[in-house]
Amino acid sequence: MIFAQLFANGLIAGAIYSLVALGFSLIYSTCNFIDFAHGVTVAVGAYLLYFFFSLLGLNFWLSVILTIIFTGLFGLLLNIVVFKELRRRKASNLILLTASFALLIIFESLILILFGADVKTIGYIQVSRGLDILGAIITPLQIIIIIVSFLLLVIFFFFMKKSKIGKAMRAVSDNKDVAEIVGISAERIYNWSFFIGSAVAGIGGILVGLDQNLVPTMGTGLMIKGFAAAIIGGIGSPIGAVLGSYLLGFGENFGIWYLPSGYKDAIAFVILFIFLLLRPQGILGKKK
Amino acid sequence: MINLEIKKLNKHFGGVKAVDDCSFEIEKGSITALIGPNGAGKSTVFNLISGIIEADSGNIVFSDRDIVGLSPDKISNLGFSRIFQASSLFDNLTVENNLFLAFDNEDTKFWKNLLGFNKATKIKKEKVKEMLDLVDMEKFRKNPAGDLSFGQKRLIELIRAIINPHSILMLDEPVAGVSPRLREKISKILLKLKEEGETILLIEHDMDFTLNMADKVIVMEKGIVIAEGSPEHIKNNRKVLEAYLGE
Repeated sequence: MIFAQLFANGLIAGAIYSLVALGFSLIYSTCNFIDFAHGVTVAVGAYLLYFFFSLLGLNFWLSVILTIIFTGLFGLLLNIVVFKELRRRKASNLILLTASFALLIIFESLILILFGADVKTIGYIQVSRGLDILGAIITPLQIIIIIVSFLLLVIFFFFMKKSKIGKAMRAVSDNKDVAEIVGISAERIYNWSFFIGSAVAGIGGILVGLDQNLVPTMGTGLMIKGFAAAIIGGIGSPIGAVLGSYLLGFGENFGIWYLPSGYKDAIAFVILFIFLLLRPQGILGKKK
Repeated sequence: MINLEIKKLNKHFGGVKAVDDCSFEIEKGSITALIGPNGAGKSTVFNLISGIIEADSGNIVFSDRDIVGLSPDKISNLGFSRIFQASSLFDNLTVENNLFLAFDNEDTKFWKNLLGFNKATKIKKEKVKEMLDLVDMEKFRKNPAGDLSFGQKRLIELIRAIINPHSILMLDEPVAGVSPRLREKISKILLKLKEEGETILLIEHDMDFTLNMADKVIVMEKGIVIAEGSPEHIKNNRKVLEAYLGE
């Protein structure tokens, strides 16, 4: 029984982390810098759903679609207004990382000013009794989270493999200078990465927002886990980031079989350290 | 007819004048070779033309338009195609996809992808097949480019540059380090391109190869153009001999 419950919990945690890590890793692989503002993008997604659905009272599914689009546009806007300008000034990747940190804090504060510090709930899904699946208690929403996360992974995989944009993204990620010489606009690919990566973060924000409460800083914790998952999976490999997310989710949840549950985060980072020591390139990363 | 005009181009790296008041012209439909000892600034000129680095001063005029300051992808789309000195395929993509990506430049625009108009057309597929056949590499089309040997990579880079729509083809040492047999093959391809009226700018260390191929030779040393003319003229130029032999 305990095994089944911990397995289910690990699966749910992994699915949530992967929704954050996927977009983050996509942006890293093409734009080649660590975008911590991706964390607040998840929070923006959750609060946009709260705004459209709970405050404006729009239809739920319309709110979901608007949230995904606007979260994607939010990421795109960050790229165009901040990161593109910095790149034009020949800013190093370290500067971009620092700027992304600043954006994380600025937008968390902005959410705080606009929506207040008190905990918000979207309240679309009635608190329901969990289903009993093989002895594990799991809510219908959590099953949806797992399914959506898995579907996104499959769609994403085919997108990168088959679509022209996906191929161009891999080309830019492989060698930006050569991609430009062949006539691919790297800036346009950066825009695509931010839009798609942020829209995925928006989906993450929606699902997390439905499952848990909304607080302005909700993205930071998720970002730290998503970041750790991306490194474990092989930084720059979005598929690896998803694998890393599940490894982290399972590791955390099975770890507390033996340890007090307060050690959950510590377990995640012990896994990270083990990887950095023994396999620094991550699960799918290539040795440089 | 003049296709490309370099006017008083300058580029410093720290205290080093990599390119110093460099001026020359390229005629349409001709092969122009850029030669000179190591560190002469040839590759820097290439990088300046393709926009990878930006000139300190001077102009690069291509069909009445100064292209200095444009981004590399814009310059590429104006009609420049090139290969690099070092291998530059996208190793994680297949040979075929490396070639398809070179085709057109509109394919990553938002609306095109929204409406799904980005299928590899029959014409493109045929062109890729034709080019792969030209270098006898059709059977490798599904292989990841990273798995190819050095010589095979050079060939794929060459045909990628040919496929990329262009009016000037810039080749940075296309035969450096390849086997004599492959060198023959590349020479043949280039001569065929010349017959077809391609405009080619070439950097090459191999003197025999260059002097056989080029209509015009430009000799650089320490960032300065020291001589310019037909291969016969260059062969007998004292300055050029000095630059190469250090006399």
